[in-house]
Amino acid sequence: MRRKKVCFVGYGSTEYSRKSEESQLGHYATAIRAALNQTGLKKKDIHGLSITTQASPDTAPHVAEQLGFELDWVLNADYGGAGGVGAVRRAADAIECGHLDVALLVGGNSFDRSVAHQRPLEYQRGNFVDVYGYGGPNSLMALIQRLHMENFGTTLEQIGKIAVAQRFNAENNPQALFREPMTMQDYLNSRMISDPIRLFDCVMPCSGAECLILASEEKAKQISDKLVYLVTDAEKVHYQVANMLPEKTTFGMKAVGEKIFAEVKREDIDLFEIYDDYPIAVMIQIEDFGYCKKGDGGKFVDGHDLTYKGDFPVNTGGGELSVGQAGLAGGFLHVVEALRQLRGEADGHQVKKAERALVTGIGWLNYGRNLGTTAALVMERRK
Amino acid sequence: MAEARAPQKSLPKINPVDAPFWKGAAKNKFLLQKCQSCGKVQFFPRVACVDCFGELDWIEAKGTGKIHTFTLVRVPRNPAFKEEVPIYYINVILDEGVIIESRLLGDNKEKVKIGDRVKVRYEQTHNPEIKLPCFELAG
Repeated sequence: MRRKKVCFVGYGSTEYSRKSEESQLGHYATAIRAALNQTGLKKKDIHGLSITTQASPDTAPHVAEQLGFELDWVLNADYGGAGGVGAVRRAADAIECGHLDVALLVGGNSFDRSVAHQRPLEYQRGNFVDVYGYGGPNSLMALIQRLHMENFGTTLEQIGKIAVAQRFNAENNPQALFREPMTMQDYLNSRMISDPIRLFDCVMPCSGAECLILASEEKAKQISDKLVYLVTDAEKVHYQVANMLPEKTTFGMKAVGEKIFAEVKREDIDLFEIYDDYPIAVMIQIEDFGYCKKGDGGKFVDGHDLTYKGDFPVNTGGGELSVGQAGLAGGFLHVVEALRQLRGEADGHQVKKAERALVTGIGWLNYGRNLGTTAALVMERRK
Repeated sequence: MAEARAPQKSLPKINPVDAPFWKGAAKNKFLLQKCQSCGKVQFFPRVACVDCFGELDWIEAKGTGKIHTFTLVRVPRNPAFKEEVPIYYINVILDEGVIIESRLLGDNKEKVKIGDRVKVRYEQTHNPEIKLPCFELAG
């Protein structure tokens, strides 16, 4: 489906920190204030609010009361790492329907000890996975990576090239927690966490928040002369769920990509903000989108420059791997970075020709398969 | 003075849906669900056929299969497992055609490769009524 009249008009980010004890609500407020200041909108102009977090009790109505929002539309958008793209899709629906002219979407995490930060393990994870001493998401992605390496001959150097390129992208991004250069040797020598997943395959948990403001085209034209449109978007939830012998190295992004590329051409995308909880997940999504055949992701990576200066720019601000993962704000980081790029505001890591971006979110590692939630969108700068 | 309580290894919170599976495991039986309508066999236990939404029966699996993929866990989520690292966490394709997530045990587990044949081995937990179906290399 093609969107016609929904625009991204602003964004705001907090600093990311590994030890800040700022409250969760404080992080939200900082990101929201930055986005409001950028757009010139006032709090009373906001009638729709979405919150994406694993923290409890930060449901959207609770946060709205704390921050003083009177609303016509409210959403809890916890779809794991797909929560950023998922929130954008639902807000776009509400704007297209005429329920709203402006929506404010927030994702965040903190180390505030007064709130719980994880959902309880879901039933099958608790009863049939955790009982065996697994190592959390690192182990579940390791199962996928091992199979990709075994079936397709993918090498650690090919997977590591993604992490190394993203670190190069992060070197001039002030938000990134990791800005010092990383070599392939650094990647290969990093500590084993859950074979074959190494430390530098993993994201650093941190605190922080990201905010996005969406608006109708009509409203957007009053707010900004940098018009960035939502072009098309799609999601797949629990791909292959009824298949007891699923293809573990193919994500629901395959089905999402078929819808996305029915509306835009693959070669018209200038930059790729691909959800990167692990480098192997980036490689698999590139395959799922049809930029190469399934299993050829390693060769594809060998043949392209993935830095912001390259021919296939991926995670141009460093991605979650170098910036840090502020909980479910991770799914927003990619949308915000795409918006920065399309507005020409990515100082020090700006892609030269940045007119159209593909952004993805994945989440909810599941039993025996791979990802439960997969979603993507394309956004475009128009004069 | 009471010692701080050591972390406990995770146990299933048995519920009405999976109680038959755990009762079976306690008697060294590996139970799977089978759809009364379409005949599909499935795991983990659910309230309806994951394919056609039909009603379910329980069948006993042979408890044999092959390694689909595996990882060596160095940092377990629950620190109670820390003494046992690396934990060989595995996906097994049972001969009945379903994937089971489990753990590989046995002295020769370091030799594991994708495709290796395995057989079930029931491990007693610290709860006398609960056994965990684990696997070991066959032959």
